[in-house]
Amino acid sequence: MKRILKTVATSVATAALLATPTMAEEPKKGGTLTMAIQQTPRHLNPAVQSGTATGQPGTQLFASLLRYDEGWNPQPFLAETWEVSSDGLSVTINLVKGATFHDGAPITSEDVAFSIDTVKANHPFKSMFAPVETVETPDANTAILKLSKPHPALLLAMSSQLLSIIPKHVYGDGQDPKSHPANSEGVVGSGPFKLVEFKRGEHVILERYENYFMEGLPYLDRIVMRILPDESTRAIALESGELQMSGFESNPRNIVRLKKNGALRVSSEGYAAIGPVNWLAFNTKGEKTSDPKVRQAIAYAVDREFINKALNLGTAPTALTGIHPGSPFYDATVEAYDLDIDKANALLDEAGYAKGSDGMRFALSVDYGWPAMKPYAEYMKPQLKKIGIDVAVRSSADFPTWAKRISTWDFDMTMDNVFNWGDPVIGVHRTYSSDNIKEGVIWSNTQQYSNARVDELMEMAGATNDSNKRKELYAEFQQIVANELPLYPIFASPYHTVSSTSVGNAPDSVWGTSSPLDRVYLK
Amino acid sequence: MSEINTQIKDVTNIQATSSLREMTTMFFRNYAAVAGLILLITILLFVFAGPWLHTTDPFEMVWAPFTMPMQEGFILGTDYLGRDILSAMMAGGQVSLAIGLAAALVSVTIGVSVGAFAGYYGGLVEELLMRFTEFFQVLPTLLFSMVIVALFGASLLTVTLAIGVVSWTAVARVTRSEFLRIREMEYVAAARSGSARDLYLIFKVILPNALPPIVVQANLMVGSAILFEAALSFLGLSDPNVMSWGQVIGSNRPYILDAGFAVAIPGFAIFLTVLAISLVGDGLNDALNPKLRQR
Repeated sequence: MKRILKTVATSVATAALLATPTMAEEPKKGGTLTMAIQQTPRHLNPAVQSGTATGQPGTQLFASLLRYDEGWNPQPFLAETWEVSSDGLSVTINLVKGATFHDGAPITSEDVAFSIDTVKANHPFKSMFAPVETVETPDANTAILKLSKPHPALLLAMSSQLLSIIPKHVYGDGQDPKSHPANSEGVVGSGPFKLVEFKRGEHVILERYENYFMEGLPYLDRIVMRILPDESTRAIALESGELQMSGFESNPRNIVRLKKNGALRVSSEGYAAIGPVNWLAFNTKGEKTSDPKVRQAIAYAVDREFINKALNLGTAPTALTGIHPGSPFYDATVEAYDLDIDKANALLDEAGYAKGSDGMRFALSVDYGWPAMKPYAEYMKPQLKKIGIDVAVRSSADFPTWAKRISTWDFDMTMDNVFNWGDPVIGVHRTYSSDNIKEGVIWSNTQQYSNARVDELMEMAGATNDSNKRKELYAEFQQIVANELPLYPIFASPYHTVSSTSVGNAPDSVWGTSSPLDRVYLK
Repeated sequence: MSEINTQIKDVTNIQATSSLREMTTMFFRNYAAVAGLILLITILLFVFAGPWLHTTDPFEMVWAPFTMPMQEGFILGTDYLGRDILSAMMAGGQVSLAIGLAAALVSVTIGVSVGAFAGYYGGLVEELLMRFTEFFQVLPTLLFSMVIVALFGASLLTVTLAIGVVSWTAVARVTRSEFLRIREMEYVAAARSGSARDLYLIFKVILPNALPPIVVQANLMVGSAILFEAALSFLGLSDPNVMSWGQVIGSNRPYILDAGFAVAIPGFAIFLTVLAISLVGDGLNDALNPKLRQR
């Protein structure tokens, strides 16, 4: 029923979009959009740097081959057409003609091949292009990707910040692309906006590229991205009109307050591909937490309803599995572990941990890595006391301290927030796959979970383009991990894009503000 | 001979008692100080005797989050997790006061040692110790204590030590100046001529006479240590498993615009406590410092 509603909603939305030019006002050209990003990007080249701090300015500077709409449909971008062979082992891409880099040089298939090689060699998400063996370039406008196996995540990996098309004549000079000077200064991009100034801790200023390959776009003259780490500062600046847009707003109190403001549009659309899921992770090799019964008992004792109502104020959707609820592969029929203290107590009794004379069974610690996660960690202490677990909240002085503790498996439980990055192959497999148990790497399989069937299911789902088949495989996968529970998913982070009502075509595609803002305009 | 000695001892005792009595009278004649003392005793009673009457666990979630004070039977309301703020104020007060006292003790120990040696020996020793003191004095104290807590982890012990380590300089300077004055006194010269050893002179002869301003200073330290702990907790740098007033402020801070009372109540408690301690300290200062008695 939900799915049907969604389809209806999508078609209504599409109809509305199609009708827009005749019904509503024409998008206007010109103007400066002032928006916020939350931290200083390490640099501006998403080809060799993950994260949305780089992604938000990076996708303005660099175009990708495809873009995605609100309904997960790939749309032409630098690739005018694309064709996947029936065996799934070759993908032919025809580039749009007349596209140029910001220095005027034409964008050719050579650049596409170079970009894919660079991303494959340098980007932290190794699974994105791992099956790509070679990129053939029969002519300047055609690139043919040869794969070792069908790769369902490939099209998504060609969109937004995951595949920036970078100029070979700039980055192919032999310097390490990760520390190339053109990553932050004098950037020669391929996207709708070119770089004017990048001042660390202050702003990134972008300006319309006049010879952009999409006719009549972008609408905006300039985008000023101010670097504002403090959420209250951003909220106040949005209210005063000093800022016209800010993505990735996640403080429930601010969201509820800004929603009441008639001059602002607050939307949770645009994060389905980023796919942030918050969970309570267990160390499955921990003394107590190695027992699935203990993990299940904790899940039954945690009241997801309370967390979503009292701590998230209803701003965050419930998440039952490691796959984001906005993903087409999400399976909502898994065991939800709704609050049941009696069952939790029974499970712990069964596991052999009887209550002591003081009503307690054993002690566990819970970690959190950054301030926004603290309330959830603090909640565990009184809540798990109800089933006789004495929880100590462990704070870390900074993010690296936490990341080190978790990635070296020095923990019992931790609150965490991990991104799906579009396709499960990119962002979900890493959490569960037994060959991704890597000491020292945060957001690898830090739970040290290992199950042969789960590995097999992920491998199969990652090697077929048949989406119905994949849905089945991921459904079985989600059922298994929901029962064995290496981590207990609680909610999808309440990311919202806040924009002034004077902003037209606010970015609602699955990549949100981390996608080209060439259609955004000021009314 | 021994008879004479006893007589002298008696005389000193009488003098001590009378000066204590005089001091007490002085103190109680100062209405502000008395008000401070009454306030302090009330706070101590609330914090230490309160939990006998009100037994709710401060960490237990007892009701809906942010229940307003005086509603649903919660005198001070509930916090963002629905925990009873009244219980948190009692349990948190014990911790805040304990940290205040312990940190003051740490800083007095360091400060008195450094100041005493500097003042007594003078010369190169003084030069070195006072430069050392100045080094600590110019460090931004809050930042420095944050670094210590960040390095060694957040626990009650590290927080207490961090506060103590950054706030001893004032005590050191007061102690040094007292020693500089007292070491020239005749009775010190007399003791020295009796070939008393240095440590005996420092701790048995000079220190007891230098105590009054140090006691006042230490008393004020307790207040500032409580404030310090609150600041660290506010920044999320204290042990989250221990309830303190600063902890209550820190964990409810993100919700200040929606439920200001959860932050205002512990803030007011800190304000009252520090005020009470300052008033008492001021009264002690007047009572102990004979020069100011004519004021």
